[in-house]
Amino acid sequence: MTTTERAVGSDVRRIDGPDKVRGRVPYAYEHELGAQSVFVAIVQSPVARGRVTSIDASAAEAVPGVLAVLTHENAPRLGDVAEEILVLQSPVVQYAGEPVAVVVAETSEVARDAVGRVRVDYESADPDVVLSVDRDDLYPPEQLMAGFETDSVIGDVDAALAEAPVTVDVVYETPNQHNNPIEMHATVARWDGDVLRMWDANQGPHNLVPVITEAFGITEDQLHITSPYVGGAFGSKAYTHVHQLLAGMAAKVTGRTVKLELTRQQMFSLVGHRTPTIQRLRLGARPDGTLTAISHEVVEHTSQNAEFAEQTATATRLMYSAPARRTTHRLAKLDVPAPTIMRAPGEAPGMYALESAMDELAAELGMDPVELRLRNEPDRDPERDVPWSTRNLVACLTQGAERFGWAGRDHRPGVREDGRWLVGTGVAAATYPTRRRPSQARIEAVAGKPYVVSIDASDIGTGAWTTLTQIAADALGVPMDQVRLRIGDSRLPQASGAGGSTGITSWGPAIMAAAQELHDRFGGQVPADGVTVTGSSGPGDEAEQLSSHAFGAHFAEVRVDRDTGEVRVPRMTGVFAVGRVINTVTARSQLLGGMTMGLSMALHEESVLDERRGHYANHDLAEYHIAANADVGEVDIAWVDEVDDAHNPLGAKGIGEIGIVGSAAAIGNAYWHATGRRVRDLPITPDKWFR
Amino acid sequence: MPSPSLTVNGRTVPLDGVPAHTTALDWLRESGLVGAKEGCAEGECGACSVLVARPGTTTPTRWTALNACLVPVLALDGQEVVTAEGLGTPDDLHPVQHEMAVRGGSQCGYCTPGFVCSMAAEFYRPDRAPGEPTPEHGANGFDLHALSGNLCRCTGYRPIRDAAYALAAPDADDALAGRQTRPAPAATPTDVPGFARPADLPAALALLAEHPDAVVVAGSTDHGVEVNLRGLRARQVVAIDRLPELHGVSVTDEVVEIGAAVTLSEVAARLDGAVPLLDLLLPQFASVLIRNGATLGGNLGTGSPIGDAAPVLLALDASLVLVSAAGEREVALADYFTGYRRSVRTAGELIRAVRIPQPQPGLVGFTKIAKRRFDDISSVAVAVGVDVVDGEVTRATIGLGGVAATPIRARATEEALVGARWPDVAAAADVLAGEGTPLDDHRASAAYRRAMLRQSLLKIAAAEVPA
Repeated sequence: MTTTERAVGSDVRRIDGPDKVRGRVPYAYEHELGAQSVFVAIVQSPVARGRVTSIDASAAEAVPGVLAVLTHENAPRLGDVAEEILVLQSPVVQYAGEPVAVVVAETSEVARDAVGRVRVDYESADPDVVLSVDRDDLYPPEQLMAGFETDSVIGDVDAALAEAPVTVDVVYETPNQHNNPIEMHATVARWDGDVLRMWDANQGPHNLVPVITEAFGITEDQLHITSPYVGGAFGSKAYTHVHQLLAGMAAKVTGRTVKLELTRQQMFSLVGHRTPTIQRLRLGARPDGTLTAISHEVVEHTSQNAEFAEQTATATRLMYSAPARRTTHRLAKLDVPAPTIMRAPGEAPGMYALESAMDELAAELGMDPVELRLRNEPDRDPERDVPWSTRNLVACLTQGAERFGWAGRDHRPGVREDGRWLVGTGVAAATYPTRRRPSQARIEAVAGKPYVVSIDASDIGTGAWTTLTQIAADALGVPMDQVRLRIGDSRLPQASGAGGSTGITSWGPAIMAAAQELHDRFGGQVPADGVTVTGSSGPGDEAEQLSSHAFGAHFAEVRVDRDTGEVRVPRMTGVFAVGRVINTVTARSQLLGGMTMGLSMALHEESVLDERRGHYANHDLAEYHIAANADVGEVDIAWVDEVDDAHNPLGAKGIGEIGIVGSAAAIGNAYWHATGRRVRDLPITPDKWFR
Repeated sequence: MPSPSLTVNGRTVPLDGVPAHTTALDWLRESGLVGAKEGCAEGECGACSVLVARPGTTTPTRWTALNACLVPVLALDGQEVVTAEGLGTPDDLHPVQHEMAVRGGSQCGYCTPGFVCSMAAEFYRPDRAPGEPTPEHGANGFDLHALSGNLCRCTGYRPIRDAAYALAAPDADDALAGRQTRPAPAATPTDVPGFARPADLPAALALLAEHPDAVVVAGSTDHGVEVNLRGLRARQVVAIDRLPELHGVSVTDEVVEIGAAVTLSEVAARLDGAVPLLDLLLPQFASVLIRNGATLGGNLGTGSPIGDAAPVLLALDASLVLVSAAGEREVALADYFTGYRRSVRTAGELIRAVRIPQPQPGLVGFTKIAKRRFDDISSVAVAVGVDVVDGEVTRATIGLGGVAATPIRARATEEALVGARWPDVAAAADVLAGEGTPLDDHRASAAYRRAMLRQSLLKIAAAEVPA
């Protein structure tokens, strides 16, 4: 099972690249182009809290070309799915933008025209959308997402803080953010008899299967979802949202192939967002920098129709040693759309706060912030009390400092000028959990033909098409051109979705297991009449016995225009410990993309809730800014030598999310170093320089 | 008049029966050419970028990248368009596609065809030549600003920049480079229900007299947003962007005259430094994709309080030539705006040209404060022109955007400046901070806008550009 030319670890080029640059790969909405499709347009509630008192669809129904208008009064009944996606099932309105009707028409133009002719009356109340720590209705969720405990307490934190010679006690805020993949969410749906056929933009068809089958009362065999190419996701395409159900309903009612593409504006209310957070960090330390207490208390929001409890402080449970430690999470149920996961949910906002507070502590101590982190490096997981499978944060920090040119840094803030620019540098650490999820793969071997490797994995831009082909080639001991990969189809062997940085650790070992099965049964010889083998993989004892996480260190230089408050980030360095790197090109892109999204989080991204109406005021790409080309300076990426065989046979860790974790903190810390002022509420917009 | 048609990737396709509001993007995608994507439908993300053969300034034709989501496809009647599918051959990737593919410039791939087209336009820029690299120019002369109107959420842009900076010059036998040496398609008069491209100004004015509610479009960078996001379905659209009478650019000792339908990209090229204040503005105006379509006439015609051209033209004391069937009149820009998106222009009147009196101010400066470096709307825009004699300000004109319902002149500040010692403008800067009625919104607070007014004058005084 070995070959001298290994594909894994090389810089092999993205195999889907040539077709993508030609514009020739089909995304969800581009399927069934020749079909006599019909189109769906959505009537959304302007009211954030209330109920529909009457709907008059007669004018819309009278428009030539309109096939149906669905409302809560006549839409097909859905099965027992989560309340947040029970669309058109009741007159109750729980967030601004909630669908209250859809029009199905022969053309998108007619559908859209008819939407304006559906008359809806509402009974409404003032929405409650403002998160604050002073609310009297904050409550602890039963548990956090991914099954984490809501709170964790070790030792007497208040006493330790009271006794600590040096403390910081600071509050950080992060805003509502929206995933905004460049491809809008889209679904094409048709009922072929009692089989629901869907082409859909998602992070793994099998993620949707349990929900959609339950919603429509069908079996797994009666649902076929295809999504081979997905135009970005970042979490918003992980779960089933209302539009997929609306497409299925519209297809059922009309008996036609239905196309539904959300508009960019609709994506701000219908496919989730990252909750805002208010985070109080208290750190206690001895004068030598040894942490004695860590307290991280989080307030965040969820919606009336869902309990989404983001695990914001869980990274704080493992980052640093301290005898007394506490993390808490409290939620406010607001009249907002249901939040969802967005790249590094939990870690991205949580580590922003922790790593900013660490920087403030270093300043209090008069200490190098790199040194402060090195001094508090735990040799075991400090809360779970189990060994690390691998932890190379120290190497990331020291190698990053070397690459960035950190040595000799003057730690005083606000003392460097270059013309009108105030100049500073900052550092922050990063971490993201390493996990694996149950997945299965199939290999079909026919003598003289390429192997066909099938797994319902998903490539949302990560590079999975390429990396899984590399893994399969090595596992089969053949060149990559002897592997035909098939992914993104619910009829392929079940696999976990592309999320939580679990793709490579879950799918890779499943493919390796299938290849091993082939080898064990047939050696190197494929039987003349061909053979099909399967393999599976999933979490093992390592999940209980070890603490497995990727780590990283970010360094950033920030320049602030002292006349206007404009912020520039001319250079960033990121060094990561992410296990075995499968493909150096796609890995660099993933880390770079994550760091850039962190830069975007630091400087740009904020969804502004209109407090009176309860809707997102800046609901488009003109007003919800993501970093543009000119915002990104020089970015230096490296990774340390690491293979995490203890976690999975590939020795890999996920790579899609760690890049965003901590990068906003490094930029915020550099902003302070440049200016001497802390901005503790993201994003760091120019006007904050003047308050 | 022949029925409308469009040549896409070398194949001429009829546009019969296409409604006036159908964008080039929707039409292409419905035709099966789904390479160009919709990401925002408002010219912000560039996923819909395509190449259009336009008349060039240094070569007969220039491949020009445009946002297909904004342009009515009927506005491209008789034109030549190339999409990502039309670049390269079935066997070989185009050099731009090759570099994007091998350097990791494409991840999810959704923004990729748009980046490829924007990059190809810069690849074919006739005066692109190797030179000393800067952070925003490759050693191959590639100007990174060519990609300023394209957003990517996956790559962090650096692999895309790597691809751009790795491009060589087009091969000698490159077909699209060769196409640039032959004349561009002429404007084709179009007259179909709901959409007309008149052949000349008299015909346009006659149409406007006949259809007082007609929507006049040039680059359609504003109209396209109205169509896509607000559902505008005009009864009659009149395309004026190729009217020869609106395409003049002339510089004399008395006046600089710029045709209202000259695109902003062309304005920069054709003025060739004759209006230094415009040279400060134009690189900061939206993005290259927008500037390739947008015009001064359109930017002033919409009457938006945050259009960036108005403050600069106010500071230059510019006037507008309005023309109708009844004749021409000239209106000072300062008297043109009457309210939020309103002006003295009447139905049936067109902006024919912008006139900038000579001599221009001796010293000029412009600041645009926005939340993002490029591809963004101004929070505040300040343009200043002053004449200084023996260290004393003898004349001052200041235009402001983003601080009132219309672009305004900062008259009190101008008065405070006259007689002041230059560049000691602190007192005038305090006056400037009180001009207008800035609002609090999600782009900036009123307090920040006021602070930026003050700071802008200080900044401009510290680094003014001799005109």
